[in-house]
Amino acid sequence: MKRMRWLIALVAVFSLFAAACGSDGDSSSDGGGDGGDTTDDTSSSGDDGDDGAMEEGGEVATDFGVDAENKVIRVGVNGDLTGPFAALVNEIVTGQEVYWEVFNENGGYKGWTVEMETLDSGYATDVGIQNYETLAQESEEGVLMITENTGSPITAAIAEDAADDNMLVIPLSWASLWPDPEFGATILEKQATYCVESINGVEWLSTQVDDPKLAILGRPGEYGEDGSAGAKIAAEELGIEIVYDGTGAVAGDDRTGVIAELTGSGANIVWTTLTPGELLDIFGNAVSQGFEATWSGNTPSFSYPVMMPSDFAAEFDKYYFQSAFNAPWGAPGTEVIVEEMTARRPDLNISDGYTVGWIEGIMAETLITAAIDAGDMTRENMVALATSGLEVDFMGLSAPQSWPNDYNDALVRSTWIFDVDAEAFNIIPMGEATPENPGSSGLIPLEQDYIGTVAADYVFDGPCIEPSS
Amino acid sequence: MEDLLLLAQASASTTFIQTLIKALALGSVYIMMGLGFVIIFKGTQVLNFAASALSMAGAMFMSILIADGGIPFLPFDNPLAPGDGETAGIPLWLLTIAITMVLAALFGLVIERLAIRPMIGQPLFAMAVITLGVEIAIRPFNIDATALEGRSLGVPWGAESWSLGDALVPKSYVAAIIMALIAGAIVIVFYRSRFGVAMRAVAFDQEAAMAQGINVARVFQIAWALGVALAALAGIAYGMAPFPPGGSVSQEIHPVLAFRVLPVIVLGGLDSVLGVLFGGFAIALAEVFAGQYLSQYGSTLGPGYSTIVPYVVMLIVLVVRPFGLFGTPEIRRV
Repeated sequence: MKRMRWLIALVAVFSLFAAACGSDGDSSSDGGGDGGDTTDDTSSSGDDGDDGAMEEGGEVATDFGVDAENKVIRVGVNGDLTGPFAALVNEIVTGQEVYWEVFNENGGYKGWTVEMETLDSGYATDVGIQNYETLAQESEEGVLMITENTGSPITAAIAEDAADDNMLVIPLSWASLWPDPEFGATILEKQATYCVESINGVEWLSTQVDDPKLAILGRPGEYGEDGSAGAKIAAEELGIEIVYDGTGAVAGDDRTGVIAELTGSGANIVWTTLTPGELLDIFGNAVSQGFEATWSGNTPSFSYPVMMPSDFAAEFDKYYFQSAFNAPWGAPGTEVIVEEMTARRPDLNISDGYTVGWIEGIMAETLITAAIDAGDMTRENMVALATSGLEVDFMGLSAPQSWPNDYNDALVRSTWIFDVDAEAFNIIPMGEATPENPGSSGLIPLEQDYIGTVAADYVFDGPCIEPSS
Repeated sequence: MEDLLLLAQASASTTFIQTLIKALALGSVYIMMGLGFVIIFKGTQVLNFAASALSMAGAMFMSILIADGGIPFLPFDNPLAPGDGETAGIPLWLLTIAITMVLAALFGLVIERLAIRPMIGQPLFAMAVITLGVEIAIRPFNIDATALEGRSLGVPWGAESWSLGDALVPKSYVAAIIMALIAGAIVIVFYRSRFGVAMRAVAFDQEAAMAQGINVARVFQIAWALGVALAALAGIAYGMAPFPPGGSVSQEIHPVLAFRVLPVIVLGGLDSVLGVLFGGFAIALAEVFAGQYLSQYGSTLGPGYSTIVPYVVMLIVLVVRPFGLFGTPEIRRV
């Protein structure tokens, strides 16, 4: 027993550490601002000895992340492969991997092929910043552009460096900050923002009940605040009473307080901007206490691989509608994805996540091929092309998009609404799917490219949230 | 007016009952996990920082046995598993829990043999750090097994509740309380057995125990086997709906369970079974009741304030009684 005193102290220190770790704050690092390398020398250098590449009589200027000799373009992924959003992100990354496999096997573009460098951030901002610095290095070991960067906190932390480095970044985050040229100069927001998604989602929810009374549940940080901000805009514009505003209230491992406030609020519609685990906890406990309302929330509050195996699948079917940015597995427009994914990854389960990876690939390919055609594949020219009004056609997977230097013009205002169908849920390996049994994520499109009255006309002053410092 | 008052009172009592049951159920999970900590500490003087990963691994074993119809680490089918699309009945489910605990105990024996026993005689701090290493080593298994999906625990009653007046009492909460009471009773009986006395003797003075003919290595083995089995039981109980994982093993939620239990063992005393029983309920009552009844002050207290309550209690106890309410005080020669 003699050494118990230090052990007690050790336990206490560990407990406090655990409490701090478990508080779930989306603390964006403030260390990313000026930590990057000096990047003023990234100007086009097409006349350097080995920077140019001859192609069908044309020379392509390159600088970083491009092996001109072998005509290989490196793109990077800074993804959460092991953290809280790993379930979704792994599938998205796989989708993008297959996209480039198909691209390369079809001969690439004018002989150029794409190689993907994938790093795991675990959704830790400090690791994400380190990964960014690895991907942004100014050599062939770096990448031409980052085709996926998971999470609002990490994207916010690298945004300034990315602008300095002329590094295009496709965020796996729909924060309303990214279309702002002042903040996300090289961050290519894809699809709608969380804020717009919330505006559409709340408007749609309000049409499902009489006399809507809204409860808002959001976690701290850009993601939660952005989604909640959109819900409030919709409520204000539509005259919906907000009976519980839980913006930033969902933190920590015990959510009894939030559940108490929600169930006692009298809400009949609930908008959530949470992680799947948080939603499962709050939804499950609220339903178990007899709380009845119509629920929906920002992507990825609801994750079918997490929710459907739970004991609340039937309740999600009854009460929850998923908001989304693009088509689910098997919906019209996804035929090519289904075919290629099934042929190349037959052992993997069907997933809606592959579509997102495919969309990232389409964005990157559009930019890369335009740069090749322009004869300038420097990072600087990639940024110039992206902001030139170049439009990306997602072939029905999502609304077409361009990135002009105007906040309102750059916004995509359409989202999708899915019904949750627990009976239809049937995740099977892609190779086992048949026309009679194609498998399903249990998400059935109710509204495709839905634009509510508020989202259609709303003029934004800028992002719905301030970036956290 | 009188009707409204009666309605409000009824609503308040319903809320109280639901809150009380939730707190007792959460306390029961804390107790099962805390007993695992105490058994290992009493037997080996090592604080098991791998408890979270071991608990989640145990829940994973259960999911593999009952939902996948397999056997952990082995390429065989579980002959007792229910058929595709079927749910196990309660007897089969309870039997599977017992099998899971046996597998977890075996897992504990392996860990003890490979990671702990080579450290015998080394500073206790080093042994505690080794358990941290074990936690990190087991995580990849847990993550690989759960990263892409929640894993069902096949709970026969799912998310069903009983009605108690207007209050809804989840069956899983009652099950967790019963599981904890049984586990606590077994541990108390165990410590009164011959082997339990030997374990306490080893905890008090290893050399003296060896001189009395006690097999210290065996005590270490049993302590780890029991400790890991109890952690697995806690992981399974915590997975039942409407506990946060909602009837599944969750990569997001399960890994932090053991850390939530640390205030329990500090409050009760690291080496006290009775302390864990008291501390588990006390901490959970404080946490859940604070969450429920202070929720209107959430904007003042801050988001997630109820999560902090156990640590506040822990700090107060540390100041007043550094060895916990039921722990053995350190005796120093001066």
